[in-house]
Amino acid sequence: MADVRRVGAAARSPAAPSGLGLYFFVLLLLLYLPIALLLLFSVNDNTTLTFPLRGLTGRWYAGVLAEPGLLRAARNSRVVAAGSSLVATLLGTMAALLVARFTFRAKLALVSLAVLPLIVPFVVLGASLLLLFSAAGIDRSLGTVGAAHTVISIPYVLLIVASRLAEFDPSLEEAAMDLGADYLTTLRRVVVPIIAPAVASAALVAFTVSFDEFALALFLAGRDPTFPVYLLGQLRFANRLPILISLAMVMTVGTLLLALAAERLRRAR
Amino acid sequence: MKRSRAARLWPMVLLSAAAALAACTPAPAEPGEVTGSLTVLDWAGYDASDFWIDFQQTYPNVTVSFEFGASDADIYTKMAAGDQADVFHPYTGWLQLYVDEGLVEEIDTSRLTNWDKVPDEMKAIGQFDGKQYFVPWDWGFTSVLYRTDVVEGEIDSWSALFDPAYAGKISMWDDGPGAVTVSSYIHGWDETQITDEQLEQIQQEWIEQRDLNLFYWAGEPELIEAMANGDVAVAYAWQGAYAVLLGQGVRVAYADPVEGRNSWVGVYGIRKGTENYDLALAFLALKLAEATGNNVVNLFYYGHANQDVMNAITDETLKQAFSIDDPSILERTNFTPNLTAEQRDAWTAMWAEVKAAP
Amino acid sequence: MDRRRAFWVLVVPPALWLAAFFLLPLVLMAVVSFRADLRGGLLTFPDLGLRQYAALASTPSFLRLLVLSSLVALAVAAVATASAYPVAYFLAFRAGRRAGVYLLLLMVPFWTSYLLRVMAWKLILGSSGVINSLLIASGVLDEPVSLFLYNRSAVGITLTYVWIPFAALPILAALQRIEPALMEAAFDLGATPLRRFLRVVLPLSLPGVLASFFMVFIPTVGEYVTPLLVGGSRGSLYGNIIQDFFTKAANWPLGSALSMVMLAMTLAWVALAARLVNLRQWLT
Repeated sequence: MADVRRVGAAARSPAAPSGLGLYFFVLLLLLYLPIALLLLFSVNDNTTLTFPLRGLTGRWYAGVLAEPGLLRAARNSRVVAAGSSLVATLLGTMAALLVARFTFRAKLALVSLAVLPLIVPFVVLGASLLLLFSAAGIDRSLGTVGAAHTVISIPYVLLIVASRLAEFDPSLEEAAMDLGADYLTTLRRVVVPIIAPAVASAALVAFTVSFDEFALALFLAGRDPTFPVYLLGQLRFANRLPILISLAMVMTVGTLLLALAAERLRRAR
Repeated sequence: MKRSRAARLWPMVLLSAAAALAACTPAPAEPGEVTGSLTVLDWAGYDASDFWIDFQQTYPNVTVSFEFGASDADIYTKMAAGDQADVFHPYTGWLQLYVDEGLVEEIDTSRLTNWDKVPDEMKAIGQFDGKQYFVPWDWGFTSVLYRTDVVEGEIDSWSALFDPAYAGKISMWDDGPGAVTVSSYIHGWDETQITDEQLEQIQQEWIEQRDLNLFYWAGEPELIEAMANGDVAVAYAWQGAYAVLLGQGVRVAYADPVEGRNSWVGVYGIRKGTENYDLALAFLALKLAEATGNNVVNLFYYGHANQDVMNAITDETLKQAFSIDDPSILERTNFTPNLTAEQRDAWTAMWAEVKAAP
Repeated sequence: MDRRRAFWVLVVPPALWLAAFFLLPLVLMAVVSFRADLRGGLLTFPDLGLRQYAALASTPSFLRLLVLSSLVALAVAAVATASAYPVAYFLAFRAGRRAGVYLLLLMVPFWTSYLLRVMAWKLILGSSGVINSLLIASGVLDEPVSLFLYNRSAVGITLTYVWIPFAALPILAALQRIEPALMEAAFDLGATPLRRFLRVVLPLSLPGVLASFFMVFIPTVGEYVTPLLVGGSRGSLYGNIIQDFFTKAANWPLGSALSMVMLAMTLAWVALAARLVNLRQWLT
């Protein structure tokens, strides 16, 4: 009988963890290096991203507040990401339930359809949606961008939630129904609580996918640009760059703090 | 019973009709009192009130909303697909397409204040079959920009973009028609009459030029950075990049090639069928006004169609960038001609093949 | 509500949404690819034909670029997946209670604009950038070298770098599902850590690895932003050509034809992969 502690100790053999840990932290460092550079330039008194640095200034951050268009674009991105991730999570979870719990003839077709957006390049999807909206007389707007983002997020939600559903025993649901619950109640009381974490991560993935997405947004945005679209447009003007970087930094730091707080809360529960 | 009720209604009907008629007659309103809304399809950044400040101050009760296009092709596609913007902002090279497809209204220039301040060459750019369809607004040069501390001597020809002496330090704009323009200048060909054989040759030359070219720039910041840190020494560039680099103290010069500089002009057009023709016209007229023009020049280093604004420039950097002190510069400048749809397709396909070539 | 009604309630919304916003536009695009131009409006169907496809077939450089882009995507997916595996392993088995925080830290860069991150990345790779400065300072180089930027390798490196965190996710999910009892059993039976990894962990995590691979491969085939930013004159990929025809040339029929071809090819790759996966399951 193996000593549990021995298993644990062997699993944490001395050579491997420091190697793996080192690898992880080097990677993390590389990931954050550009962000650190951006942070540096957001306080640099120069409009181009060149060395040598020219001295500290807070005017780019101050400038962010004076740019209503910029802040609106950031807000638009949040709105679109929130909306599209909500709808995608809903639709994707429905599809996941169908895939994991029902058998029907068109199942393969449905799954393929739901997963196909992963295979279509965004430039193709964006252009074809533009064609569709133009032909139908629908004006481009945040709504059209949101519709597109929902489409590309559904596959992620489907895959994440369906794999979670596949893991736990359907007999739990059968038991509930045997005990007299109808399907809706079973879903609500049995299934949803179990898949809730998976649904939450799926929603988070969908939000992330939408937030910085710009290929589709470029095709489908109307009067209100999302932040990446706005950014691309502003890049025509060289002297706007530092203000854009400052806002991006604010958004990154803000998201990081939010995420860390959420993680704290989650662990506290 | 019915008749008496109807009889009582008649005076009411007459009164309402009279009131309605009275409301219909256009009473000339003060600009400050005019209400309404206008939609402008423009490039990102131009929604900043700096660029329509005169209109904003003259018509404070009109709501102006902006839609954005990411490129000329994008703007054209949106307009052709039925976008409902009242006013839009294309650039030279694309204008013929709008006229051919019946997408623009004729502009009543008699109602354009400041129209007399626009040079004739620029007015001509927006004219087709003797009718004015577009109002010029922003403009600039294209020429060869180069680092004087890296390049020996002066550059005086567009062929510098093909010169092996600058191998690995050249940057060309990522644009097919732009490439055809450069080649036609170098070879002395008529830009508007490029034959298939000439296009083949142009394609081959640009494929070979890739060995000398570091990257194709899509936006000025890319180019400015690369020139500032020395990666690029010779480039196809607009004068905005020149002005910015001069302002940063980088040693650059903006060539005056023997073939002549190129110039592009941005124009505003009014969508055919718009219900806001009068407001749109007022918008365009005030786009030509001084305060707006000054902002265009000083904030973004683009030229403005209002000649008074250009003549009033005092900043030395800008004077150099626009060659203000050289009055004959416009005569030696080649304005971008308008392309037909076939030319646009052929030239962009050519450029795509240049980029795809092994 | 019984299961039958529930079925219809569940199937209709996603199916409708996907049909409207996914199938329909693609069908429309397929139709547009058979047209010569868009004169006359979008919903008219003047003489349809294969001229765009003929034009594509007679331009060998486009097709060659499609194959090249697939190969680049293949390489990026392979390296990204392989590089992501240790990350996922670390988070699953070594990070302990801090795994959640580490995972978050890994994801946060994705909430910074991709465009800006790549612009900053260029500063690191450029001739006056961090890498070159380090190499010169340490005496390895005398002069800055331009091989880290503005070529196809730079595109590959940048893409791989950007994808690794995302690629770690499916692998992590798969690793977390492995029963610890299996690992213990392997240990009990005398397996070395390496053997345990090769015989137990790796095979069980293979679905995650495959998912990762395809999650990276498929979007990368159509990638065009990174080549624009770091590819230089020779780094253009097939996605750039499509992008150009839509946004620079307003030539939608040709752009649509190019897109359809790419779509068909990607579907072929996926079908091939599905075959391979079945084969693997049959072998093991």
